[in-house]
Amino acid sequence: METGLRRIHVTLAGLLLAASAPFANIACAQGDETIDEIISPDLERREIREAEIDSEDFEFTVYWGGIMSVEDFGSNRMIGGSLAYHINEDFFMEAAYAQTELGESSYERLSGSAPLLTEDERDLSLYNLSLAWNFLPGEIFILDRWALNSNLYLIGGIGNTSFADEEYFTYNVGVGVRMLTKDWLTLRFDVRDHIFEHEIFGEPVTTNNLSAQLGVSIYF
Amino acid sequence: MALLLAGLLSVSLAQAQTHTEEQASGETPVTESFSAQQFGDRAPQQLPFDTEKVFVGAEFLNLYTGPGRGYVIDQVVEYGEPLWLLKRRTDWVKVMTRTGKMGWAKIADLDAVYGAAGEQVVVPAPGVDNARDRGVRFGFTYGDFEGANSLGISLGYRFTGNISAELRAAQTIGAYSDSQTYQVALLHKPFPDWRLSPYFMLGTGINITSPNATIVATEDRQDTTMLSGIGVTTNLSRRFALRAEVANHYLLTSRENNQEIVEWKLGFDVFM
Repeated sequence: METGLRRIHVTLAGLLLAASAPFANIACAQGDETIDEIISPDLERREIREAEIDSEDFEFTVYWGGIMSVEDFGSNRMIGGSLAYHINEDFFMEAAYAQTELGESSYERLSGSAPLLTEDERDLSLYNLSLAWNFLPGEIFILDRWALNSNLYLIGGIGNTSFADEEYFTYNVGVGVRMLTKDWLTLRFDVRDHIFEHEIFGEPVTTNNLSAQLGVSIYF
Repeated sequence: MALLLAGLLSVSLAQAQTHTEEQASGETPVTESFSAQQFGDRAPQQLPFDTEKVFVGAEFLNLYTGPGRGYVIDQVVEYGEPLWLLKRRTDWVKVMTRTGKMGWAKIADLDAVYGAAGEQVVVPAPGVDNARDRGVRFGFTYGDFEGANSLGISLGYRFTGNISAELRAAQTIGAYSDSQTYQVALLHKPFPDWRLSPYFMLGTGINITSPNATIVATEDRQDTTMLSGIGVTTNLSRRFALRAEVANHYLLTSRENNQEIVEWKLGFDVFM
């Protein structure tokens, strides 16, 4: 095997020598100057240039319509928005902020006693930091006319919910769908569960608070 | 004899000439290829202002309807066709073809495009290829701040492979008090090329603590803190790194004793 390889090498080298012999003749005839030419590589330097191109990795979303149900305190309209950074086609990270109001709890309504919370304490605000995975990219067909690029994403993160003069550490998980109407304008709909623990009724309870929001977002 | 030599020389000269010609024709840049010249200088009418024209040097290039692998390939451009680069999103570039159609090309597929002068053009993508590259990173963290939960963000800049600086902010929510911390820190990575790369951190900042009104009735207080910590990072891709950290917050309080808080953190960093 090895001798076979060596034979091939030797043959190749011989062939190369034979091929270069005529050139060597010319070089000798032309003197020293050409030696420099032969020695210096006759390769053109490969030029590489970076394209000047705009990037659009950020996405700003305004909740067009939102509703949040706070356990025991009813459902109310939610307003808010988010800022996302798209890491790659699969993942994005997002910071979101929203506000809603708490209704009357059934305890307050049924007992007829003094309300548990003042009006100011019924204002709820929340923010969170989340990471999302675009796990089902594809197309959504609406009748015969439209085929919209879309993706379904799973999202989860941590955040803070504040109401009743208290801050509550909040986990959120959810799922959403994004439809790209233009490539800089998308429609988003997502549903989240905001999970936190509070002690408003005397003892600690973990609550699941669902929100659904329809958002319009632009890329920039 | 001399005649023979002269004859040999002329033959070899001719050979050399044809040889160089062949070489040249084999290396015709794509910008001067038949297919590139065939399309001339025509540009689509709806071309946006200030876009860059390149020529496709690969055999073909798939164009998708959207910036992702899940979207449909509805056009293909061939070797020598001109393209105009419009914008980039994540690892995709939106392009316009000579007929004015638009599509998205994967940056990984755009490795053979050439400018008008024949120079190779690369589309810069964010991220780091090398553990020693400079650059900005942004991260989210989740932590345990001595029993309280904390959520944080950090903005870092790497000066060299070893040294980086970080701005950090965190909100901590505990059973008895909440606090906000703002810090500036310097990080040293002795072995940036390791798969699991350890780092040491020193910093300073402020802690604003507000005890929960319902339990303890005291005022908010603001303390200067000294921060020291160790951690470990691992790069999952050129965009993404995971990190774990344990940090000691030394609060220089106005009370009799200073206070020490140990924080455990888990998080991720994204290279911009």
